[in-house]
Amino acid sequence: MMDLAKPDQFDLDRLAEELGALPQAPLAMPVQQLESSARPGFLSALLRARLWRVGKAGH
Amino acid sequence: MGAGAAPLRRVYLTRTLTLTASFLAAGLGFVVFLQFGASDGFDAFDVLRALLIFASTFWLAWGAFTALAGLTTQPPAVPRDPGPVRAMTAILVPVYNEDPVATFARIAAMDASLRATGFGDRFHFAILSDTRNDEVAARERIWFLRLLADTHGEGRIFYRRRTSNKGRKAGNIEDFIKRAGAAYSYAIILDADSLMEGATMVEMVRRMEAAPDLGLLQTLPKVIRARSRFGRIMQFAGGFYSPIFARGLAMMQGRTGPFWGHNAIVRMRAFAESCGLPELSGKPPFGGHILSHDYVEAALLARAGWTVRVDDDLQGSYEEAPENIIDHAKRDRRWCQGNLQHSRLLLAPGLKPWSRFVFLQGILAYIAPVFWLAFLAASIAAPLFAPPIDYFPIEYWPFPVIPVSQVSKALGLAVGVGGLLFLPKLLILLDAALRGRTQGFGGRIRALQSTLTELLFSSLTAPIFLMFQTRSVLQVLRGADGGWPAQTRGDGTLNFRDAWAASHWIVTTGGVVLVMAQWLSPELVLWLMPVALPMVLAPLLISWSSRPSRSALFTVETEIAPAPVMQLHDRILVRWDEDLEDRTAA
Repeated sequence: MMDLAKPDQFDLDRLAEELGALPQAPLAMPVQQLESSARPGFLSALLRARLWRVGKAGH
Repeated sequence: MGAGAAPLRRVYLTRTLTLTASFLAAGLGFVVFLQFGASDGFDAFDVLRALLIFASTFWLAWGAFTALAGLTTQPPAVPRDPGPVRAMTAILVPVYNEDPVATFARIAAMDASLRATGFGDRFHFAILSDTRNDEVAARERIWFLRLLADTHGEGRIFYRRRTSNKGRKAGNIEDFIKRAGAAYSYAIILDADSLMEGATMVEMVRRMEAAPDLGLLQTLPKVIRARSRFGRIMQFAGGFYSPIFARGLAMMQGRTGPFWGHNAIVRMRAFAESCGLPELSGKPPFGGHILSHDYVEAALLARAGWTVRVDDDLQGSYEEAPENIIDHAKRDRRWCQGNLQHSRLLLAPGLKPWSRFVFLQGILAYIAPVFWLAFLAASIAAPLFAPPIDYFPIEYWPFPVIPVSQVSKALGLAVGVGGLLFLPKLLILLDAALRGRTQGFGGRIRALQSTLTELLFSSLTAPIFLMFQTRSVLQVLRGADGGWPAQTRGDGTLNFRDAWAASHWIVTTGGVVLVMAQWLSPELVLWLMPVALPMVLAPLLISWSSRPSRSALFTVETEIAPAPVMQLHDRILVRWDEDLEDRTAA
């Protein structure tokens, strides 16, 4: 078992990458169509109406 | 029909009854308010206020009748495959600047719990790091190696960090599926703070195996480990009321159930085929990555013909929750943006009508508080626009006609709205007492005390949440992207200064509301006190509720008897913390 009390002795990036490598078993995940080409509805247009622009917000 | 989902006829009946009853309640509120408002002369403001009452009451009634549906139905029989588990399942743990010690200790606990079932070798864990902070990422690598050493998890527990967090959590999971999805039949999707019993995960696989059309199975996670007053009240509310609301929801949703983003299992092939999310045209907040991806993924699975189900009878599924009102409001800000973004998808091609309704419901959940606030503002301003009272409405009649007081109608409306808010919770209490469910909440008397105190607390904090939600909606509408900050987990205590900094604008608004009401409509001041007073006291309430709780109130099952996987997690954390202290001392 590796000596984790001295993590400097390992190239942690390499070790984590080696031991943590995911199985190679690709699976296709096609992008789905969600936006219709039709004009947006009233509610969508109303909600998208931007009264004025501001930057990021949050708490 | 989807195996295990409620029979379609019952689903349509529950939907019809709930919708009809909600419309009737909202219509009644509309008519009563119109009569009340017209007592001093009829004007456009009365119609506006009555319409706002209609929309707000509909939303309240919808919640109340969902609870009634939950109280009056039983979960349908669910098929399960009792044989040995052969399918491989990946347990996905997306992390984003989380504390690796707590998160990886949860994985170690779930791994031990799974191995105890005898099917541990059928489950692999994949830690999917989107961590942007290099220091946190370095700790993740150290603790990943510790996790491997502790669990002998090499070849069963994986760790990878993305160089770019494109698509955020949904993109993180998509990246895993594109690299390794074909190795697994199922994926259990967790959050960093999720915890699940091994037996629960095995049971989820059994249910998936028995229902080949089942694309996603959602559990109802219980909130655990709350420490603050706010956290414990939410934990109690989640544990006590949520199963009933979830039951009602399951009855209405049928095959088009929900996905709440974590503590759920998906059929890998179904998810991969159906849930590749596009970036929406335009910029955030309405364009770009889909933020509340879970609702959309559930809708896409249903569109592709898969059953999406919530099994509220599944126990052993846990999560943690914010410890104070501010953290709760931060999380709600993200959810608000995500739900309003769904307005772009209301007309998405091929979606089931119920999926569209769920999007609309999510939008309404955030817009309803704005309606309430608009109603209050319109009520305060109404006297400015009311026509003068006509004391001589009858021509040639020499005596004045004094308008009949319609205060009884206003009182009736207030009682009705209060009933929609409180009655479902009181009925849930009664049901829990009759079925013996109160045992898990400290007995009947303690559950009664907890429920009544929760009703008082939720009444006091409702105006504060109303303000936060209104601000969130306005921010999103004016194009502000809230970003995607990591959740603050941990102690969560807020001093008065922090609480003031986050809520002084609510205090100001409350003060302005009272002053304006006193000036324009003095008779409204008393009516407005339940709303305005908590707003004025917001910093006190926020700070007080964030402090540690030592009360016997709000006791929940997992405090009386911690679940086995929680005990495992505790033991591992203690051991790892001791090791950390030893290393620091050395």
